[in-house]
Amino acid sequence: MTEFRVGRGHDGPARIGEYIMGTEVFETPLLTGHSISNEKMLQYGTLGRDPSNSRPTIAALPFSMKFEDIDKAGLGDFDSVLLPSLISFSSLDDQTSVLTLRHQLDAVDEIKETVDPSRLIVRIPENIDIDDFKSYIDDFHSKGIRAAAFMFDGYLGSTDLDSIILRSNLPASWLALALGKIDPSTVPLLYYTGFDVIDTGYAYETAATGVRLWRNDSEHIETGKQQRICSCVHCESIAGAKHSDLIDILQNHNLDVYVSILSESVYAMKSGRLRWLVESMTHVSPNQASIQRQVDKQIYSFIEEFTPTTGADNVPLIGPESYNSPAVKRYRDLLEARYTPPEGKQIVLLLPCSAKKPYSDSKSHRRFLESIEGALGSASGRVAQVILTSPLGIVPRELERIFPAANYDIPVTGDWDAEETSLGAEALITYLNKLDPSCTVVAHVSGGYLGIVKAAESRVSQSIIYTTPEASATSWESRQALQETLVDLKRVLQLKDTPPRQLEEIVRATADFQFGTGAGNILVPKNAKLGGKPYRQIVCRIDKEQICSFIADTGLLSLTLGGAKLIAPLNRYWVRLDAPFVKGGSIFAVGIKEADLSIRPGDEVIVLNNQDEVIAVGRSEMSGREMCELKRGRAVSVRHKVEV
Amino acid sequence: MTDTLEQIQSAVKIASFKSRGRSVEKRRAKNPNKPSAAWTITSRIGTESGIALSIVLSTIGCAHARSDEGGCTMCSYLLDGSSRNPSSDELFNQFQDAMSKLDKESAPLAVKIYTSGSFLDTEEIPSDARNQILKAIADDDRIREVVLESRPEYVQDSIIAEVRAILDDRIIEIGMGLESSSDVVRSLCINKNFDLKSFREAVEIGKKHNVGTRAYVLLKPPFLTERDALLDAKQTVRDAIDAGVSTISLNPVNVQSSTLVEKLWKKQRFRPPWLWSVVEVLRYAHDAAKNSVNVVCDPAAAGKKRGTHNCGKCDTAFVSAIRQFSLTLDVHVFDDLTCDCQSLWEHTLKHEDVSLLVHR
Ligand code: SF4
Ligand SMILES: [Zn+2]
Ligand SMILES: [Zn+2]
Repeated sequence: MTEFRVGRGHDGPARIGEYIMGTEVFETPLLTGHSISNEKMLQYGTLGRDPSNSRPTIAALPFSMKFEDIDKAGLGDFDSVLLPSLISFSSLDDQTSVLTLRHQLDAVDEIKETVDPSRLIVRIPENIDIDDFKSYIDDFHSKGIRAAAFMFDGYLGSTDLDSIILRSNLPASWLALALGKIDPSTVPLLYYTGFDVIDTGYAYETAATGVRLWRNDSEHIETGKQQRICSCVHCESIAGAKHSDLIDILQNHNLDVYVSILSESVYAMKSGRLRWLVESMTHVSPNQASIQRQVDKQIYSFIEEFTPTTGADNVPLIGPESYNSPAVKRYRDLLEARYTPPEGKQIVLLLPCSAKKPYSDSKSHRRFLESIEGALGSASGRVAQVILTSPLGIVPRELERIFPAANYDIPVTGDWDAEETSLGAEALITYLNKLDPSCTVVAHVSGGYLGIVKAAESRVSQSIIYTTPEASATSWESRQALQETLVDLKRVLQLKDTPPRQLEEIVRATADFQFGTGAGNILVPKNAKLGGKPYRQIVCRIDKEQICSFIADTGLLSLTLGGAKLIAPLNRYWVRLDAPFVKGGSIFAVGIKEADLSIRPGDEVIVLNNQDEVIAVGRSEMSGREMCELKRGRAVSVRHKVEV
Repeated sequence: MTDTLEQIQSAVKIASFKSRGRSVEKRRAKNPNKPSAAWTITSRIGTESGIALSIVLSTIGCAHARSDEGGCTMCSYLLDGSSRNPSSDELFNQFQDAMSKLDKESAPLAVKIYTSGSFLDTEEIPSDARNQILKAIADDDRIREVVLESRPEYVQDSIIAEVRAILDDRIIEIGMGLESSSDVVRSLCINKNFDLKSFREAVEIGKKHNVGTRAYVLLKPPFLTERDALLDAKQTVRDAIDAGVSTISLNPVNVQSSTLVEKLWKKQRFRPPWLWSVVEVLRYAHDAAKNSVNVVCDPAAAGKKRGTHNCGKCDTAFVSAIRQFSLTLDVHVFDDLTCDCQSLWEHTLKHEDVSLLVHR
């Protein structure tokens, strides 16, 4: 039996795992190539044509090979087998692609006695229609196949994009291989989009033509010409090497480039910075940038589905490629769909973002808060504070500690481009439309932030007062102007004092954001008692029973069993087991009967038993789809459970 | 063949037919009294060296390519043909027009007659025209060798007997496009719809009348990797020699217009074979022939993008070595061929098989 086991951890569809071939265990992501020099690489070759090896390899079956000859051709007991296809045949039309799959399906039946289906790898043809693809993958799945190879021609055009899009429709339990011409600079993107095995053939191809690859470009080595400095061991003897030696040197060097960029990608995945690495690679070439944009546009939901709810402490968002990164777009989408502003607000104060996060910790925001307090005193609670920023759009003060609002890092010049301005304006319009039209909007912003407000102005019903359109919002004069405006408004609007409700507002907003509209009112009803500090922990109790607590570090709520029972009727973020009780501290995918498909890695989830009773709460380790599709792996880390 | 293979074959047929587009209808009516082409080269004739005249008669073209079978995936010979079938007299005029190129030459001479289809197909060349042409050759003492071209199904006992009778004791060879001895390759990759059996029968009929047969072996039809193609050509050479042919003629695929090959080539899904592969097959053939079978290769568009080529730097040396070999059968002409691109070719052999990505 050959088996692919998905391990723990995600950043986008990228994952780690193990490809088990007999007694050999290869850790994925994994590089594959002709070379056997590198222990950690999986070798491939063509059955009957390339020398066989004692270690397990990937063996390609030639189209012309008779199935009865497979055994004598020297197939190793644990070799995986690439099913046969005619090269280029599927490029003719979508029908020939279907035939390419059908032929492989026939082949499975022919050889399943000799080669266990778990060792087979389907070759995914070009041009295949998504629905045909899915239905054939189902057929292969039911025959026990769990691996698919996709072709890359290296142009980063439609062929490569199609392969990535098709891969996004593969069941989570399948191993995905990327074969063909793959430049090192594409490795992070392929890993990010869920490829587990990546071909290094291009390392040899370039070496054969005298090309030395680098992380994000390449260099032609010519004798007598000045070369770049490489400190790797292989390149020590490059000066004056003769042609055949040069090829060897370049092969080894080039392979190392793949090894190093893949390891960089894995490390980035583990620290929640893979998206950032992928974004940074878009500057390698225009093609690289455009395929990345297409990926974001066309398979956003796939990427988002595997993007954890929380991430790195510091999330750099640098260029336009960040505007629709999953963490960012998901924040905007959830805010629009789930967030309800607190009640009793008469003034909406629009503020610029600060470089330091959360905003309240910055010098500028501490001063804004002083100005509000100074002008309104005990009526300060009548003000809804909203921070304008890019590319998140807006951040209500209550949510400033949530991911990624508390973690993103942008070049804060305040010069937004047209897309950023429009993202900001849309978010602001949606927000203001949720508020009473009689509220007064105070725009304490200038420059690009002002542009956002102006772009929104004609589409909102509230009237807007500009405090400081000409000068920086943080200057002493501007803050004076803000304070005067608020003093005037207090008088004009006859603002009444109100007890501070900051804790309720934070917990309610977070609950809605995290569990969906309505959760806030359920978890923090009128009679709830809250205690603690917004910058540390807030505990919410009803009738002395602890319901949930807000953890400032993550900006998220942890539920108690009591809290979970309260929101279980919302029918969200549930995981249903086959068992009556939870045993141990983890729930594994194998024990899960069903799960809410909107669960993302890192979400707070409610565990139900086969009677639909709440039996535990915990943190998800994978997405809802994986909980349903995978047969192994830790799905939930349990925090509280019903003791038996 | 399984259902699926049959469907693959029919998809190739349809695609081959579609690739012709309107090219067949748009063929012009040519001057019916002039051949499509005629040229002379120095060539091996028996054991001596002499002048060989090649004539391409302008006919209506290959029946297989004209039909909705779509014709072969790499062949557009029929575009050299004419939209109107010439009369017997006109065909004879074409022949005589070409023969005038031999006026000043002396023995030994060879004449090779091609059409854009089959010389022995009576729909293309009526039997009276065929016999008139053959008699004219019989009357010319300088001509020692005659090569005709036909699909195997037209190589019938009665016709060959007649040809032998007219040409008397001359060396006769019938060229047939075997292309590949693998039924799968011939039907799926080439769309040439005859089986190996009919080829073997044709060779036997030839032997019976002391008529030699020349197997055209195709190197790299579409839908094969470079190494698939290399191995298939070697196997075909082996099988053709075993069947008893007198000559192996290796044809590396070149990209001809309005063919399925061209369509794939334009999409970057086909690359003509490397000259390294051509040389390897020729070496193999020379070995297998053991000097009892002739081995020739006259690659079209060699060294160009549409023909068999290497890196560009070494192509001229390779092409001239191949021509030299065809003339002398001396395999040592290949010994000095070296180029840096050998490693790229070797990489291609291995990596195309695994990745199924066409390496250009
Ligand atoms: S290769 Fe021969 S049989 Fe095939 S289409 Fe051309 S002329 Fe006709
Ligand atoms: Zn180096
Ligand atoms: Zn070369």
